Amino acid sequence: MLTSSNNKSLQINHVSKRYGSGSTEVTAVHDVSLSVNPGEIVLIMGPSGSGKTTLLSMLGALLKPTEGEIHLNGTILSALAENRLPEIRLKQFGFIFQDFNLLSALTALENVAIVAELAGSKSGEARRKAASLLTELGLGERLHFLPEKLSGGEKQRVAIARALVNDPSLILADEPTANLDSKIGHEIMRRLRHIAKEQGRSVVIVSHDQRIKDIADRVLWLEDGEFKEAVTMAIDPVCGMSVEREKTFRAEWKGQTYYFCARGCRDEFVNNPKKFITVV
Amino acid sequence: MIRLAFRNLFHNKVRLVISSGGVALALLLILSLDAIFTGVEKRITAYIENSGADIWVSQEDVFNMHMASSSLPDNVARKVKAVLGVDSVSPIHYLANNIIAGDERNLAYVIGLTEDAELGGPWSISAGRSLPDEDEVIMDRGVAEKSGIGLGDEVEILGKDFTVVGLTEGTSSLVNSIAFISMKDFENLRKNYDTFSFLLVKVRDGQSPQVVAERIKAQVRDVTVQTRDQFAGQERKVVKDMSTDLVTIMNLIGFLIGLAVLALTVYTSTLSRRREYGMLKALGARNRDLYLTVLAQAMLSVVLGFLFGLTITVLLTLIIPVLGVNLTMVVSRVSLLKVASASLILAGISAMIPIRQIAGLDPVMVFRGR
Repeated sequence: MLTSSNNKSLQINHVSKRYGSGSTEVTAVHDVSLSVNPGEIVLIMGPSGSGKTTLLSMLGALLKPTEGEIHLNGTILSALAENRLPEIRLKQFGFIFQDFNLLSALTALENVAIVAELAGSKSGEARRKAASLLTELGLGERLHFLPEKLSGGEKQRVAIARALVNDPSLILADEPTANLDSKIGHEIMRRLRHIAKEQGRSVVIVSHDQRIKDIADRVLWLEDGEFKEAVTMAIDPVCGMSVEREKTFRAEWKGQTYYFCARGCRDEFVNNPKKFITVV
Repeated sequence: MIRLAFRNLFHNKVRLVISSGGVALALLLILSLDAIFTGVEKRITAYIENSGADIWVSQEDVFNMHMASSSLPDNVARKVKAVLGVDSVSPIHYLANNIIAGDERNLAYVIGLTEDAELGGPWSISAGRSLPDEDEVIMDRGVAEKSGIGLGDEVEILGKDFTVVGLTEGTSSLVNSIAFISMKDFENLRKNYDTFSFLLVKVRDGQSPQVVAERIKAQVRDVTVQTRDQFAGQERKVVKDMSTDLVTIMNLIGFLIGLAVLALTVYTSTLSRRREYGMLKALGARNRDLYLTVLAQAMLSVVLGFLFGLTITVLLTLIIPVLGVNLTMVVSRVSLLKVASASLILAGISAMIPIRQIAGLDPVMVFRGR
């Protein structure tokens, strides 16, 4: 087993991906480094053609980097033989796709159970796990429905259950809210936040959806295959809005820095911090 | 993954009907053709099987009846009768000719029987007598009905008029029937008074036909001696040899039709689920899991097609006699085994192209598809 000693859930070091060679060579991702802690949500944004898909594919062990290393829970993925990767993908990753990508001939329950079976669970055990997850996600009444009978939000919840069924440490989500209306999109974001904060899983989301910033701990901007800007998000303790730390109002209290969406919120906080911060 | 194959198959009902229906029709072609030829084989040996003889003696190097002629001197009967273990010997005359009734001409094996024949006569009489006198004929009931004649009516055989005095069952096949006339009439018409075509031998109780046949061979020269089973086997071999090419070609056509239908439907089914297979690969399914799914889907299509084809064939074997068609269809175990094996090969070949397609799928497509 190829292992590394760091305790980050996911760490990529100086990763590049080039396609073609000579005059036709194209660099899709150039010297990118990133680490994601357990329970952290990282949002990767960027224009089309910026290298997001290539980066996501490499993070998901679907594509090998030309240079650099990818570590997941102490294993150097980029050094593993091709035939080891399917098992890693099954057991350590949970994938959520833009188009849900459910198997059209299988019911919601079977769509989730089949992934557990592929990972080695017996049929009965896989179905029990799938039913439990789907019920937890509010689909207890829809277990035996085919995807064509489910709404967009329900399909994405099935996809979330499928991503969680093998208890992975890392969730990779590709535009998880793109095909959903605002209300359902918010619900999916809430679920993803729960997965990270309550279950301690790392979540990496690639999206154009600005609303996802609200749940992200960090936002990275990828352009021309490189991270151009890193934004760390914080919650305004007065109104509860998600704000970018680098671009907003701040105040210090008892050695801690707090971030606010507007001057009004900051002033309100400064006048009576105890009203908004519970002191233990 | 077998469940996925099953669900994929039943999810698109139209494709399922086309796939399994196409396979069923192709296998029906093979099965029914086999059933027809097995029926012909059975009918063509019906006379031999029901003659009551344990041993058949024919002219040297004559091994069967169909499209053959045998002539034995009349003293051979006495020599055979003298062999240890022989109970009785019945000579018969035999010739392939027509039964003419009005404008109807029906090909028939004409058998000449002695007036006290113990062996070789009709074995199932539906009306009238079981042995003919001079100027009388006993013929197949189905042929008689088809020609619009019955007991007491006249037919022409070998240029002579005969009165129908008996009607038999189970004495016609796709190509001919059997008619029984008296030995005297046969000899007079053929001007043949001192020879026979075949000798039908009954062995004594407790005697082995095989052992007695060996004794006859040793004691009687210039004859061919075969047990009933050997003689019937030779008869079947002649029919088989005559029909092998036709059956092979038809089987090949059936196989190719089945292959084309199944390969096309399995291919289009896999193509339409390309993204789903790609997604499964991305999630971590191994190629062998996906190959198994495609192969299982092809196998299930074939099994359904086989069962459907077999059901129709069995129904045909039941319906055809009711419709009065002079055809017997028999579904043999050998035929079932052959078609089942062909079906498995069919499924295997059909799954090969889609399997190659899956092998080449890049799981990254699930992200690039947007």
